[in-house]
Amino acid sequence: MLSPGQRMLRALVAWMVVGIFFFPIYYWFTIAFRIDKEIFEIPPLLLDFTFSWQSFEEVFGITIGAKGGLEVVPGGGNYYMVPRLVDSIIVAVGSTALAVTVATLASYALSRMRIPGQHHFVFWILSTRMMPPVAVAIPMFFIYKNFGLLDSHLGIIIVHALMNLPLAVLLLKSFFDDIPQEIDEAALIDGASRFLIFRKIVMPMAIGGIAATAVLCFIFSWTEFLFVLTLTQTSLKTVPVVSTTFVTSTGTAWGKMAALGVTAMIPAFIFILLVQKNLVRGLTLGSLKQ
Amino acid sequence: MNAVEYEGIAKRFGSVSVMEDISFAISEKKFVVLLGPSGCGKTTLLRMTSGLEKVSKGEIRFFGNRINEVHPRDRDIAMVFQTYALYPQMKVFDNIAFSLQVRKQPKAEIKKRVEEAAEILDLTPYLQRYPKALSGGQRQRVAMGRALVRHPKVFLFDEPLSNLDAKLRAQMRYEIRRIHNQLDTTTIYVTHDQIEAMTMADEIVVMQNGIIEQIGTPDEIYDRPANRFVADFIGSPSINFVEGVVDTTSSAPVLQVESQQLPLPTGLNLEPGRELIYGIRPLDIKHDQGSALSGSLDFIENTGAESHVHFMFGGNRMRLVKHERLSLNPGETVNFLPDLEKVHLFDKQSGARIN
Ligand SMILES: Nc1ncnc2c1ncn2[C@@H]1O[C@H](COP(=O)(O)OP(=O)(O)O)[C@@H](O)[C@H]1O
Ligand SMILES: [Mg+2]
Repeated sequence: MLSPGQRMLRALVAWMVVGIFFFPIYYWFTIAFRIDKEIFEIPPLLLDFTFSWQSFEEVFGITIGAKGGLEVVPGGGNYYMVPRLVDSIIVAVGSTALAVTVATLASYALSRMRIPGQHHFVFWILSTRMMPPVAVAIPMFFIYKNFGLLDSHLGIIIVHALMNLPLAVLLLKSFFDDIPQEIDEAALIDGASRFLIFRKIVMPMAIGGIAATAVLCFIFSWTEFLFVLTLTQTSLKTVPVVSTTFVTSTGTAWGKMAALGVTAMIPAFIFILLVQKNLVRGLTLGSLKQ
Repeated sequence: MNAVEYEGIAKRFGSVSVMEDISFAISEKKFVVLLGPSGCGKTTLLRMTSGLEKVSKGEIRFFGNRINEVHPRDRDIAMVFQTYALYPQMKVFDNIAFSLQVRKQPKAEIKKRVEEAAEILDLTPYLQRYPKALSGGQRQRVAMGRALVRHPKVFLFDEPLSNLDAKLRAQMRYEIRRIHNQLDTTTIYVTHDQIEAMTMADEIVVMQNGIIEQIGTPDEIYDRPANRFVADFIGSPSINFVEGVVDTTSSAPVLQVESQQLPLPTGLNLEPGRELIYGIRPLDIKHDQGSALSGSLDFIENTGAESHVHFMFGGNRMRLVKHERLSLNPGETVNFLPDLEKVHLFDKQSGARIN
């Protein structure tokens, strides 16, 4: 047993660690809400800055009234960021759905089917992530150009899904490996087809793992920069790429960048919250394995 | 009619051979136990019977028809796994009903049959629970309910009781046997527990290292074990073995055990000098003050109802069971008398029975 003093110390250290992780996010929030000339104030204004929606208004082309009313400025402001958020959501949701669907099927097959030379698969799958993405970016550009995928949502969805597949397959395979094979076999004798076993029995048991994998895929796509930069031109841009437009020859618009960043956290946050329910459900389901 | 026949069954996993040539038949409506130590191939044989594992060589027939290539779902079998393999996200009702739902039976029929199975297994109050809310014994029953709702031609059990505590196990032994009698089907039951085999089986198939050592009724196997391995594996407390050499110089043949002698059953025509293993079950040795045979007491275990007397005889550790309490000190003399009718003699080299 820990003495009260030790327990206090433990809580203190825990909160310090939380603080270290949380502080930059808080700082970023304050910058989003400061007026431009207060951003570089020393010592930094952490609490008593002049609160303002100015950065958000400029970035999204809206006006936010004193009483909280919201009004869209015709013409969409200077930066057209709302469509960029929509692009990001389409790409992240699409690529996550694609990667998780393919990876779930593939990893179940890898976990259950006996294929000659199967133990090479893991290495083979991982090897696709061993080369730096930059090495693929230029070839991808030409391939995409030929296939007409350049500068399209579908193109980015595919490339993000491809990037995510190896890890998603490996991760999900470990979840499927944890589900006893005998459950499949019992269902097989009960008369279920492979696909029915997968859909009705095994997949619901792996839902926690699928949720965890979806979170990783989503976050990767949400923050990916290089491929969106090289494979898009005008018809779409995701938030990470478009953030760079705030870096100009006359200086960096930190307030606007922060406002966009803060807003960009919201969809990711919502996605993770939605999926987290399943994460917890998956964990409790897992605990009843004998 | 034979429900199941095995003919020349061999099984290899890659380069590892688990069994080479297994042949036997199981007649209809019998309760047959495959008994053997862990790793002897019981599960593998059962899985080949269910179709979960391919047969490398040989033929399995159900009611005269080759089923090697038949899909598990079309074999008309049901299997209960050691780990139960329940579907955790389905309620008990759906666990039991799953095979009927998959086969698109009418809803009313499914309900009727699930309730029937639940009735037999005392599961009626638990049908709306999830498996995680059940005790080990109840989960085991659900696994059985899943099997018997299908009314299969052959039941396969793979060590279904090994995850239960001793008391529940004894109760479930009786239950499973009762259900078998009630349903009047054929059952193949795998276990490494000889008590389960002895108490439940119509017929026992004793296996070791992928080889059948003996097939017979529990009585036959207990009374006339075909070899040293079977004698050792069956019976609790386990049999005593004494090694010695046949000596026929005196009128009755005896077994020379170091400096001491054990009487041998007569009428066997054993050549002198032959090396034998003499097997006698602890229950077949009497503690008899008048006997000329004696050993020195090692220790006594009292189980309440009986005393297990451990003693040394010619360098061999032996044990006899006496139905009364006995107070003797270690080192004192134990006079004993084996029942010559119940002596099992085995060849020292091959281990095969010779009387
Ligand atoms: N899938 C498998 N691959 C390789 N060897 C196996 C496999 N299944 C079983 N074996 C081997 O076959 C032998 C018999 O196993 P098993 O039938 O499970 O024995 P038992 O059920 O009698 O304990 C064991 O030596 C085991 O290691
Ligand atoms: Mg086994």
